[in-house]
Order: sequence, then C-alpha cells, then structure tokens
Amino acid sequence: MATWNLQAQMGSSRVLRYGYSLACVAIAMAVALVFRHYRFHELAPPFNLAIAVVTWYGGVGPSVMALVLSTACFDYFFSSPIHSFVISRGDLPAFFAFMVWAVLIASFAGVRRRIENDLSHARDHLQIELEHRKQQEGEILKLNQELISRAAELESSNKELESFAYSVSHDLRAPLRHVVGFSELLQKQAASLVDDKSRRYIKTILESSKRMGNLIDDLLSFSRIGRAETKKSLVNMEQLVKDVVSEIQRETRDREIAWKIDALPVCYGDRSMLMVVLTNLISNAVKFTRMRTRAEIEIGCAHRDNDDVEVFVRDNGAGFDMQYANKLFGVFQRLHRADEFEGTGIGLATVQRIIHRHGGEVRAEGAVDEGASFYFSLPKQQHPQVRAANTV
Amino acid sequence: MNTLGRILIVEDDPRDVELTLTALEEYNLANAVVVARDGQEALDYLYRRGQFHTRSDGNPAVMLLDLKLPKVDGLEVLKQVRSDEYLKMIPVVVLTSSHEEKDMMRSYKLGVNAYVVKPVDFHEFVNAVKELGVFWAVINEPPPGSVKKG
Repeated sequence: MATWNLQAQMGSSRVLRYGYSLACVAIAMAVALVFRHYRFHELAPPFNLAIAVVTWYGGVGPSVMALVLSTACFDYFFSSPIHSFVISRGDLPAFFAFMVWAVLIASFAGVRRRIENDLSHARDHLQIELEHRKQQEGEILKLNQELISRAAELESSNKELESFAYSVSHDLRAPLRHVVGFSELLQKQAASLVDDKSRRYIKTILESSKRMGNLIDDLLSFSRIGRAETKKSLVNMEQLVKDVVSEIQRETRDREIAWKIDALPVCYGDRSMLMVVLTNLISNAVKFTRMRTRAEIEIGCAHRDNDDVEVFVRDNGAGFDMQYANKLFGVFQRLHRADEFEGTGIGLATVQRIIHRHGGEVRAEGAVDEGASFYFSLPKQQHPQVRAANTV
Repeated sequence: MNTLGRILIVEDDPRDVELTLTALEEYNLANAVVVARDGQEALDYLYRRGQFHTRSDGNPAVMLLDLKLPKVDGLEVLKQVRSDEYLKMIPVVVLTSSHEEKDMMRSYKLGVNAYVVKPVDFHEFVNAVKELGVFWAVINEPPPGSVKKG
C-alpha cells in the first residue's frame, strides 16, 4: 500500500521525481565514498541500486538522469584517473561492465514497472467491472423483488375480485329466489282474481327473474373456472365429443340435424373443463341453426403439428359479421338480440378462459347467414420433450 | 299411516322460511316444523335452553341447516352437533345458496348427511324441499330418540 502511495505522490510532480533521482544518486555517491574510505573494491553496487530504485519509483526520465549522473560520478570520482572524466585503458572493461549492468538494471526495473502498471490497471479495471456487476446485480435483485411483490399484489387483487364476484353472485341469488317464489305464489293465488294484463305482468316478472337467475349461475360457473384447479390427464376427444353430442341429442329430437364427427386425437387436459368447452360450442351450434330446416354440424380436427391439435365446431347457422369477431369471446358480449337467440353471453368467455388455462388459443370464423366455425387448440401431450427423449 | 318426524329448519331469512313452509304445506308436513332464526337459536333448541327449555324431550328427525347464519354459522352448528354424544346422530341436511366446493367439502368433512343447493326456480325449490321433507320426515327411519309428531 505504501508503494502505491509513493508512486502516486511521485507521479503527481515532475520536480519531485527528478529531485528524488538526484537525491538517490547523491546517497549512492556518499555510500561509495564511505566504501572507498574503508577500502572496499566494489563501488558500483550503490549506484546500481540507486538507478534501480529511481527507475522503480521515478519513471523513465529520472531513470535516465540517474544513469547519466551515476556514470559521470563513477567516472569522475572512482575510475582512474580520478577527478577526471577520462577513462584509463585498464579501467575501461570495468567501466563498461558498470554501464551495461546499470542499463540492464534500469531496463529490467522499467519492464517490471510497466508490467506492474499494467497489472494495476487491469486490477483497477476489474474492480470497476466488479462494482458495475455488483450494481447491476443489485438492480436485478431490486427488479426481481419488485416483480415478486407485483405478482403477489396481482394475485391478491385477483383473489379479491374473484371473491367479490362470488359473493355478489351468491348474495344476489337469495333475493332473486324470493322474487321468483312470491311471484309464483301470487300467480297461483290471484290467477282467478286478476285480468289478462296483470297475468302477463306477473309472467314477465317471472321470465325476467329466471333470466337473471341464469345469468348469475353462468357468472358463478365462469368465476369458478378461474379459481378451480385443473386436473389434467390424457383425454379421448372423440369419445368426449360423442358423449356431449348424445347428451344434446336428447333435447333436439324434434330437429333435423346432420351430425358429422371426424376422427379426433387424444389430448392432454382437464376432462370436465373440456366437456364444458364442447358443450358450450356444440349447443351454440344447435341454437344458431334453429331456423334451418336441415342443420349441419361438423366437429373435426383442423390442424395438427407435433405438439398441438386444433379442434373445430362448424355449423351452417346464423353466423356472424367478422368485424365483430373480437367481441365474441368477451363476457356478456352478444352479437344477436335476445328475442332472436336466448343466451347470457358468458358461454364463449368460459370457453376462452378454459382453453387459455390449457395454454391453447381460441378463434372464430363466420359470415352473416353462412354459418360459423369455432376453433380451439390444445396440447397433445404433457411433456413433448420427454416423449422426444423416449423415442431416441 | 307413517308417523311424522319433527323437522328443524335453521334459516335466518323470513322469506326463505315462508317459501319453505309453503312447500312443506303442500304435503301437510308444515305442522311438524320448528324454525330457528340463527345458529344460536338452533343450539338452544337442541340443548333445550333459553326459550326452548320447556320443550318436550327428543331430537328432530332431520335438521335443514342454512350455512350463512347470524351469530353462530351453519358449519359451527354442524360441528357442535357432530361432536356431542346426544346430538351426533341427528340427520343434518345443508340447504344453502352456496354452490361453493369449499363449503361443500367442509360440510361433508364435518359429517353432513346431504348437501342441497337452493334452486332459484320456485318449482324446483318447492320440489327439493318437499322431497327432502318427505324423505327425512316420512320415509327415513330416524335414529332412536327422535321426536315424532303426535
């Protein structure tokens, strides 16, 4: 640490560095004089040491200055003839040896210094990088935490919404039951006392209440689907379609419907939820072909790749205008007047919700008076990658 | 003729009580009915406390229990009945507006004998109540110690 401080101080002032060079040579000179006084023969090492130290701490300029000064001093004071810059022939090899030695030491020290500098730069760089990373990591951590708390918030507000929807639907049922119940009692009690108009009023009250009852029931089941856990397994879609169709056929005996059920693959999903999807789509097809003397309803597989399968329900009924296609799957969205086709506008929203919970997509195609096709996609297997691994 | 078991209706809404009684009247089952307006009153009746301390001995042949009740709620009443040595055999039918799986699960776990969701449609409601009344008060053989109307 002290070295770094010294270098930093040296680096800060040119005068200081050259002064330092001068001082070092002066000390070497003094030491050499002391050596000579005690008749030591080796007088070069103090100068070599001084050059090395200056090179180390002072940089290139002061190093060259120390080299020149040391050479001059050595030549003037210690190589014969003494007190002259002339070098005697006999001392020439020793003097050259000193020079070479001094240059070598200086260059080694210089190289080492450079390497050290590079290293320290690299270290600084690394430190900066490290701090940068730490900062980034901190930011990521903060973002993550924010995300977690957002998710928790979302979940709790979702739950709140669901429980609100539930309690609204639930608490609405009781008064509605009373309206229906007492209207029925009134109808029975007053049937002989009131005129036709009043009877029609009572009938309207009853019908409206029943419609509201259906709305609440549908809303409840829609909200239940959002909260229920999916229990997924392999489902034989063809069998499921046949079950649903035979259930619906019991109520459509007075109609002529040409059913066409294509071969359907096995899918992976929640059987009872998929049953709700098929029941909704197929009973829609039955409902919207009511005005046809011969209704045609086809259930088939539109498209399949390795992982997904797309099932469709197609009819030749009332159809719809494609510009309203995006409204079809919204809650309470209807494209037909209540006196044309009855309904609560929750069926397709339920379909979409179930299919989304399965990771699939829904879409619809149609044209006014030319029928409609509803498509939904489902995964064929639970883990395609597992299956791929098994077949290798 | 079959003897008629006593029916205990635990229901806080007077309109629901009236509709239930109307339904039971059609089968002449209404005069065997006792009504408790909340969970506390139901327990008072069963333990012959408070306003019911003078009532004759014996348990009802069936208890029709609403879940959403003031003071002590239906599930709590059910829990207390099932944990009492003298009451645990009483057949309990939950008759509620709640279609919730959670309520259903908890009721069955506490040992309810049947769970009926009150239909919105009046005819269905009348039929449900009538059938419940006929089954539990007439057809079913109640556990020993139940009160017969007489």
